[in-house]
Amino acid sequence: MRIIPTEILVIGGGATGSGVARDLAMRGFQTVLVERGDLSEGTTGRYHGLLHSGGRYAVKDPLAAQECIQENRILRRIMPGCIEDTGGFFVQTPGDDPLYAEKFAAACQQSGIPCEDVSLKQMLREEPRLNPAITRCFRVPDGAADSFLAADLNAASARAYGATVLKYHPVLRLLTETTAGEDRRRVCGALCHDRIHDEEVEIHADLVINAAGAWAGQIAGSAGIAVQMIPGKGTMVAVNHRIVHTVINRLKMPGDGDILVPAHTVAVIGTTDVKVPDADNYAIEPWEVQLMLEEGEKLIPGFKKLRFLRAWAGVRPLYQEARWADQPAQNRDVTRAFVLLDHETRDGVAGLLTITGGKWTTYRKMAEVTVDKVCEKLNSPRPCRTHLEALPSAAPAQGGTGHAHSDAHSGMRTHSDGHAHSLGQRLAEIEREHAYGQLICECELATRRQVADAIRSGDVHTLDDIRRDVRLGMGPCQSGFCALRAAGLMAALAPADYLPAENGKMLRDFLQERWKGLTPILWGQQLRQERLNELMYLDVLNVDHLGEKAERRAAASQAADERPGDKPQSPASRRGTPAGETTLVIGGGLSGLSAAWQAARHGQSVTLISKGWGANHWGAGCVDLLGYAQGDLVQAPRQALQALIQAEPRHPYALAGLETIEQALHSLQTLCQESNYPLHGSLAQNWLLPTAAGALRPTCLAPETMIAGDCRQDGRMLIVGFEPFLDFWPQWIAGNLQQQGLEAEGVLLDMPGLRARKLVNGLILAGLFDQADFRRQVAAALQSVEHRRRLAGAQRIGFPAVLGLRHALEAKQHLESLLGAPVFEIPGLPPSIPGLRLHHILIEAVRKSGGQVFEGMLVTDKQARPAEGSNGPALEFVLSEAAARPKAHRAGRFILATGGILGGGYSAEADGSLHESALGLPLAAPQREAWLQARFLAAEGHAVFRAGLAVNAHFQPVNADGQVFYENLYAAGGAIGGFDPLRERSLEGAALATGYAVGAL
Amino acid sequence: MEFLDQPVELSLDLCLKCNICTTVCPVMAVTEAFPGPKYAGPQAGRFRGGEQLTPDASVDYCSGCRACNMACPAGVKIAEMNARARGALVEQGKVAPLKRLRNNLVARAATLGQVAQPVAPLANLAMGLKPARWAADVFLGIHHEAPFPPFSRESFTGWLRQHQAERRKAAPGAPGVGSVVYFHGCSTEYYEPRVGKAAVRVLERLGYEVIVPRQNCCGLPLLSNGEFPAARQYHENNVRSLLPYARQGIPIVGTSTSCTLTLKEEAPELLDMHDEATRLVAESTYDFNEFILASGRLTEEVLSQEIALRLPYHIPCQYRAHRIGKPGLEALSLVKGLSVVDGGHTCCGIAGTYGYKTEKYAIAQAVGAALFDWVTGFGAPLAVCDSETCRWQITHATGIPAIHPVELLSAAMGYAPEGALRDVLQLK
Ligand code: SF4
Ligand code: SF4
Repeated sequence: MRIIPTEILVIGGGATGSGVARDLAMRGFQTVLVERGDLSEGTTGRYHGLLHSGGRYAVKDPLAAQECIQENRILRRIMPGCIEDTGGFFVQTPGDDPLYAEKFAAACQQSGIPCEDVSLKQMLREEPRLNPAITRCFRVPDGAADSFLAADLNAASARAYGATVLKYHPVLRLLTETTAGEDRRRVCGALCHDRIHDEEVEIHADLVINAAGAWAGQIAGSAGIAVQMIPGKGTMVAVNHRIVHTVINRLKMPGDGDILVPAHTVAVIGTTDVKVPDADNYAIEPWEVQLMLEEGEKLIPGFKKLRFLRAWAGVRPLYQEARWADQPAQNRDVTRAFVLLDHETRDGVAGLLTITGGKWTTYRKMAEVTVDKVCEKLNSPRPCRTHLEALPSAAPAQGGTGHAHSDAHSGMRTHSDGHAHSLGQRLAEIEREHAYGQLICECELATRRQVADAIRSGDVHTLDDIRRDVRLGMGPCQSGFCALRAAGLMAALAPADYLPAENGKMLRDFLQERWKGLTPILWGQQLRQERLNELMYLDVLNVDHLGEKAERRAAASQAADERPGDKPQSPASRRGTPAGETTLVIGGGLSGLSAAWQAARHGQSVTLISKGWGANHWGAGCVDLLGYAQGDLVQAPRQALQALIQAEPRHPYALAGLETIEQALHSLQTLCQESNYPLHGSLAQNWLLPTAAGALRPTCLAPETMIAGDCRQDGRMLIVGFEPFLDFWPQWIAGNLQQQGLEAEGVLLDMPGLRARKLVNGLILAGLFDQADFRRQVAAALQSVEHRRRLAGAQRIGFPAVLGLRHALEAKQHLESLLGAPVFEIPGLPPSIPGLRLHHILIEAVRKSGGQVFEGMLVTDKQARPAEGSNGPALEFVLSEAAARPKAHRAGRFILATGGILGGGYSAEADGSLHESALGLPLAAPQREAWLQARFLAAEGHAVFRAGLAVNAHFQPVNADGQVFYENLYAAGGAIGGFDPLRERSLEGAALATGYAVGAL
Repeated sequence: MEFLDQPVELSLDLCLKCNICTTVCPVMAVTEAFPGPKYAGPQAGRFRGGEQLTPDASVDYCSGCRACNMACPAGVKIAEMNARARGALVEQGKVAPLKRLRNNLVARAATLGQVAQPVAPLANLAMGLKPARWAADVFLGIHHEAPFPPFSRESFTGWLRQHQAERRKAAPGAPGVGSVVYFHGCSTEYYEPRVGKAAVRVLERLGYEVIVPRQNCCGLPLLSNGEFPAARQYHENNVRSLLPYARQGIPIVGTSTSCTLTLKEEAPELLDMHDEATRLVAESTYDFNEFILASGRLTEEVLSQEIALRLPYHIPCQYRAHRIGKPGLEALSLVKGLSVVDGGHTCCGIAGTYGYKTEKYAIAQAVGAALFDWVTGFGAPLAVCDSETCRWQITHATGIPAIHPVELLSAAMGYAPEGALRDVLQLK
């Protein structure tokens, strides 16, 4: 056990604690701050970010209002980089008490809060989305604060003045002693757990300051002192973009959901106020989210239909002398003003002060008052200077993007340049530096340099820590693209004791952390986004099975590869659709393209229309037939398929039948063979191929460019990445492969030609690999002195799946001849180059068979003819959205291949209903509460993604009674419900088999 | 679907970050100056707005081809977002004055035409002078090889007056099947009257009375240079002059696919003109081939002449963006003996005035390279394309004359062809 002696110990690394530490250090006290997690991980990082003008309290609590406006002015001065001067409006919406307005203006004046009456015209000019029915508007000097950055800067300043800041040091208990001769106890320090080194640390101090916020009661309690805190949960919801640029408050007595704060790239509406028994354990209730949406609607018409990114809650540290159980359920009346408890006078225990309550805006004042008390207690009067001296804002970037400062150990956030921050700042910096090729988090524009700085600070232990530093993963895709990149970068910068096992877990933990905040608002486009994230992390990267020791069958026989060329039988035309029949396929994913291709081959006159492209562009570019059955790895798909067909007679595979599945695979293999892009594999076996996360993915058909990576075979791998390409981190991949018992090593090639480019992504690399010259350069770089040894030790060489778009096979063979070892591609984040190759081959095939393909056409409506005699109802035409007026498409046969939620085939609404997008067919929806699992990667999958159309044996959509909706309508691929292609790893297989079956009907 | 009614900027909420748009953007594929549709559109969109100066400039490299919109599965209006961002750059004075002057020069074909056409030989001579072109390149940023077509000596409307007078004389008050308004656009008026003549002849043969009301430039070149207030002026004028016909249910038909797209959608959307009049004009506007196909009057009987040619065809981006398929190709498929092949290329690169500019000329040439190779390799004496600037670009890059489909239709109806088509058919 270590012992750290100090004068003052501060417990809590939120706004208050870091502020107190700074004040203490500035007044020359020897100070240690301990925080149980990361700085501002508690309530400070979980609030809406409002810098109060005081307007909110002007009527009800003038004292608090005055404090706010005074501190507001000070904070703007001392931490301009943390404050955005958004200004604030107080607006009176219909139904608000009109008398409040006058009281408000007068109260503001009394408290010294500048308050300007704004004409409604002016208000709408500045904030055009506000409700035009608003009847009154005042302007006050509210602002938006970056509370993460502020806590960091306070901690950095404290350090600069000699304080020690220890993160991940939870307090186990306060240490007390009883002075000899007296029976008075006093607190003399705290026992902490150093979570990073997993050891106990005793910190001895003359005085302990309990600034643990909502957890202050627990801390004091550990010394037997009762401090009654009422954890007040406040729920907030973030809108995907800045729907307003001014803080919007309601002109009424403070209540729920009456603040809308523009914070960085989002707007946050808050909050509720619910007492909870435990500050660490609370759920966000659906009614809370609903309430935020309803209240938002009053401010901004259409608010409820916006895209929401997250819902989260913070617990307010509300202090009440009486027992909280006696209090009314509503918390808002409890005082917001802060309290400083001197436990010597209050409880007869010396050595401990508790500072609690209050709000972010007044944190500095709270610190000042606390440290004044410290001076008094220690009999050492020293004046406060925190209001006079600016925080050590990071110096402006020196030739580096958003690259701030500084002492690598300061742990300071890297995103301030000392100027008042503004919305466009990051984008402007990226543009100035042409740094658009260096984005780890594209949504929030966090660059590689920023993330690397955070990692190098040594103060980062989880991906979530990086998030708090640089806003990683806080935008629309909620870590979909950046999580893998950050995990890989972390491995590339790893210290010697880096454990790859940790990193796989780290990635999953981060994904899970993001998921947690998403589930309360997951519907509409954000749900679609999460389905894409599932596709990336399950289907392509196999992260859910990362680290599992895969059962590898050594030396799987190549003989099992039933080579294409043994001609598939021509499929029997089961329904006998006459040649020349016009067929309209709706949807341009794999199912739609294969349906169109088959129909055209059978002599039908085919048109395919699609809103845009789909899963081909996102997937691995293989044909996954069945990778997992009941969570178990499938090694022999034929047997597993037979079992599945038996067990689930409504599964699309059961409807298609084994023979059709096999024919569909064969026909695609033949096509690809003819296109000089062979796909290998058969129903006899699944390949086990490495992914860009270093996991092993089972797949049935893989392009020739990938199969040398088969992990059922032995053979030492050299994984090669390219320095500026952020989607592929060879050290991380190799580390994870090693951990699964494979021999692998990673090398990151730094080629001057690539480094000189501003933008290197998969598409650009693919374009380069199409050129023989570039391939020679790559080989030369690998044969250089630096890498020669590694190359010599490799029995096969893995590259990111970017080995050419048009000439992939040639590129692979060329590289093999240059390098003298088998070469394989490893799939990763979208866009999928191997998927694009398949897409081009299929489009070409449709066209060559006489079919037409049109993109940009979204089906919005239909015309059907009613049932007549023995004929059921049938579709006559569908309408697609077009410039100025819809376009009609007539056909004899219609094939719906619009996909599931991800493809846009159906959407899920906030009210729990599901909608089929193109034709408005009724869909059965699972219960809203049962939509999602608590765990993102849960093996069972999320029920909402299993929804979809029910079809009969001919793939015709049917209603609940089994009756077809339209005689001439068929469905294929993800539009069909009842299965989860991503969990099964059957995405391409199911699309291909059903598309084939329907097209050939 | 809800997003159809969403204003341009709000559509950023639909983005899944999925990168599909980046796989089709022809500009990103050839230059590092442009970070691509996802970045420039929905991604940067979250950092724009409010009181601040617009933070980004690379968006100016978007050519506006809309290939991204067509491929996006989520319905993000990327190209429009980019156009509006450029509008903000211009509005805030972030485009250098000389560049802006240049942009206004190339974007005002009508003004240029009015000045130059009366002195066409002189103007063409000047345009052909190397030193003059170099001067324009160095001082104005108009690339010295930019594919400007020669001014036509005769204006389309000049011909039309004469033609209509003759027609009235020949068959006064002949009953037709109805009237159409013809929107000829600047190129037909000043550079290629032959396209307008062919269009009038075809429409008349199909039984329509052709009305050509006062019209000015559709404003697209201004829109794509971010000059929104000026574009608004143009569009308001056009709406005013076309509205009476729209009100009577008379269709407005144009041979320039970008003019018709502007009337249908671009101008109302980018300029936020959602009034009744603008909407009515938009809904009455048709692409020429879209219209004649829908009329049901384009029969094999009217297309009596055989044209034994096999020609390469390129569908302009702005035509694809109508989202009505390929009516040009469809109409031509009815012509006996004629085989027109679509190469399936995304973009020729010119994108209106984009490829004229010094800093973008090379990008535009690189974008179109695959198309040019294909056209050259096709070995035909002509190429076919519906949009004027694309035709000029193709011809500039390949040396092969390019014609509008209506010229072939008119020839197939037995009217005397003009220009390159005449030369080719005469040779045969
Ligand atoms: S409009 Fe064309 S150039 Fe502009 S981003 Fe889209 S695809 Fe690229
Ligand atoms: S294709 Fe559409 S959804 Fe995908 S990244 Fe581009 S704009 Fe976003």
